[in-house]
Amino acid sequence: MRDPRIEKLAELIAGYSLDLQEGQVYRIDGEEVSIPLAVALSAAAIRRGAHPYTRIVPAGLDEIELEAASDEQLTYIPEVERLATEQLDAWTSLWGSSNTRSLTRADPERRRLQLSTHYRMVNRRWERISAGDLAWCGTLYPSQAHAQDAEMSLAEYEDFVHGACHTREGDDPIAHWQALSETLTARAQQLDGVRELRVVGPKTDLRVVVEGRHWIPSDGRHNMPDGEIFTSPVETGTSGDIFFAFPSVFQGREVENVRLRFEDGRVVHAEATSGEDYLRSLLDTDAGARVLGEVAFGLNYEIDRFTRDILFDEKIGGTMHVALGGGFDEAGTENKSDLHWDLICDLRAEGEVYADGELVWKAGSFLSAPAVERV
Amino acid sequence: MHARLAEVIVGYSTEVGPGDVVRIESYDTTANDVIRETYAATLRAGGHPTANLVLDEADEVLLKEGNDAQVEWISPEQQWHLEHGDVWILFDAPTNTKRLSNVDPERITRRLKARSPLQSMYLQRSADGDFRWVICGFPSQASAQDAGMSLKEFEQVLCRAAFLDQDDPVAAWKAFGEELETAGSLLETKRELRIVGEDTDLTMQVGGRTWIRSKGLRNFPDGEVFTGPVESSVEGTIRFSFPAMHRGRQAEDVRLRFEGGEVVEATARRGQDFLREMIAMDDGARRVGEFAFGMNRAIDEYTGNLLLDEKIGGTVHLALGRSVPGTGGENESGLHWDIVCDLRDGGEVYADGELIYRDGAFLNGA
Repeated sequence: MRDPRIEKLAELIAGYSLDLQEGQVYRIDGEEVSIPLAVALSAAAIRRGAHPYTRIVPAGLDEIELEAASDEQLTYIPEVERLATEQLDAWTSLWGSSNTRSLTRADPERRRLQLSTHYRMVNRRWERISAGDLAWCGTLYPSQAHAQDAEMSLAEYEDFVHGACHTREGDDPIAHWQALSETLTARAQQLDGVRELRVVGPKTDLRVVVEGRHWIPSDGRHNMPDGEIFTSPVETGTSGDIFFAFPSVFQGREVENVRLRFEDGRVVHAEATSGEDYLRSLLDTDAGARVLGEVAFGLNYEIDRFTRDILFDEKIGGTMHVALGGGFDEAGTENKSDLHWDLICDLRAEGEVYADGELVWKAGSFLSAPAVERV
Repeated sequence: MHARLAEVIVGYSTEVGPGDVVRIESYDTTANDVIRETYAATLRAGGHPTANLVLDEADEVLLKEGNDAQVEWISPEQQWHLEHGDVWILFDAPTNTKRLSNVDPERITRRLKARSPLQSMYLQRSADGDFRWVICGFPSQASAQDAGMSLKEFEQVLCRAAFLDQDDPVAAWKAFGEELETAGSLLETKRELRIVGEDTDLTMQVGGRTWIRSKGLRNFPDGEVFTGPVESSVEGTIRFSFPAMHRGRQAEDVRLRFEGGEVVEATARRGQDFLREMIAMDDGARRVGEFAFGMNRAIDEYTGNLLLDEKIGGTVHLALGRSVPGTGGENESGLHWDIVCDLRDGGEVYADGELIYRDGAFLNGA
């Protein structure tokens, strides 16, 4: 049965996120489970005069590759991927999967090799996105596997996803995201003037220097759903402790109750109640993996619970998150790493954030609305 | 069946080797198990596989709502692969063979025309030995429904036709290849063929043309010998026993009359408008691009699946439209439409006046 919300989501992505134009070449990537959304996006693109094509793959190819490929095959980049990365006008990644844990037992070394190859192309893709040559949006088609991770039924999870995207029946998604974009932009401009943030919460007292860095509003262009503002901190300016009450998931593997201590920008102590070995192996990915590449405020208040999917979790209204590893060029980062691991800190119950000593955030929200300049 | 089929496709049909760039495709999700096996077999053979599922529903929207430029557009990945890739494996496992029944035929012929140069290019690369492609039949409910049988029964038909029920399928294909070789060698010594059957008396010149022994490399299952007849030489009438199918549309009881190599009369008991539309696609669509003998005796019944039907041992088929590079055929068209004629019951073929084939089989000593 057709779900009209999926068509609404497709229209939102084609019309607002990507702003597809006549004649543009547009690729839609995903696994088989996301086919209904791929079809809806393709149709939305046709109606806008664009040239869509899909790259939908059967589930399970990554694990087959890990099993059967030589190292040389694992690191091979198909020419069609290079072409897409260099030439596309618009691109959508559908992250839905039929089993979010299928690689849990894969050899971590081989998986790292496979991912680092993938990230080489992703990094190049981001260069073109940042230069304004490529419109890209990542989103998720609600599947059973993700519903299971979120501890919901599929019907409940669909409601949750469309709530977060504002694509429920009766919603006007484009109006919502345009309005949110104005608010987030104003908030980001305000934060651009801040030198240092101090985050205080359960087992947390962390200072993050952001002076001279640029805050970026995430307003539904590159992710759907969206709703955060982020920057890349000054590499040597992070100090203190932070505790992550939510499980921290990277590539389907969980680490629980992570605590990190920073000195002069680097992690000097790390512990977890489970998955500590995995945590340490990620910190040892490369020199940049112990440094923050991102600090961000989650501001989508339709997302009110943890679902084990970073697309949603990092935007939970009332949380902050930091990422270990590579930062964002457009924010002014100097940190390079193959890792970019988002960890979420719940500040909804008793968190406080000070900007250059002034309390600006308490119990999950900013204390004052930013002044929105309406044009 | 899946692992066995994948091994034959990768190891025998396309002979994937180290460094080969291989694209594995199908429609929707029916063939996913065999795609996974083929992906694994390609990796084990040292190749670089990518997989892609063509989405029927997206294609339908394109054909119904797309403007001319959109319908004619070819994706850069497809273009690149056909120009530079090494191997293309397509599993033909339709989810609904009649899905395009209500699409304006003009949209479909427009697309075929737009793709014609690309098609000619990769067929030429194939004839030159620079590109290996295979269309592989794979059982789906839709195909079984067309055949009037259950999925399980259709799987068995396909397995038998592909020799996957034999101990060593590759050895069986090689042995069968010898039989095709014999027929091809015989036909290459002949200048003129005359096909005689019910309401059928058709002559054509084949001297100087090459007969290709089709032994499971470009189609799978397979089993035919074919050539491109001299374009202007086809004369007479032919009545096709089986419906003429194209992209889910069909014409039944098709009769064609040729003069000077061109169709001058085309009738069908059903689907006549469709038949005439296809023939009017371009100049080459009125001429014969291929003539072939189906020789796979493990396929003995009509199933409405062209890939199988044109290989039925004891049939011949001709294709209106583009000839296949490597045969010496020179016909160009956006169309390549195979239509099958059953000769098992009383059909005869004369070569240069001599009877060489009767009741669906080449005569001993011919």
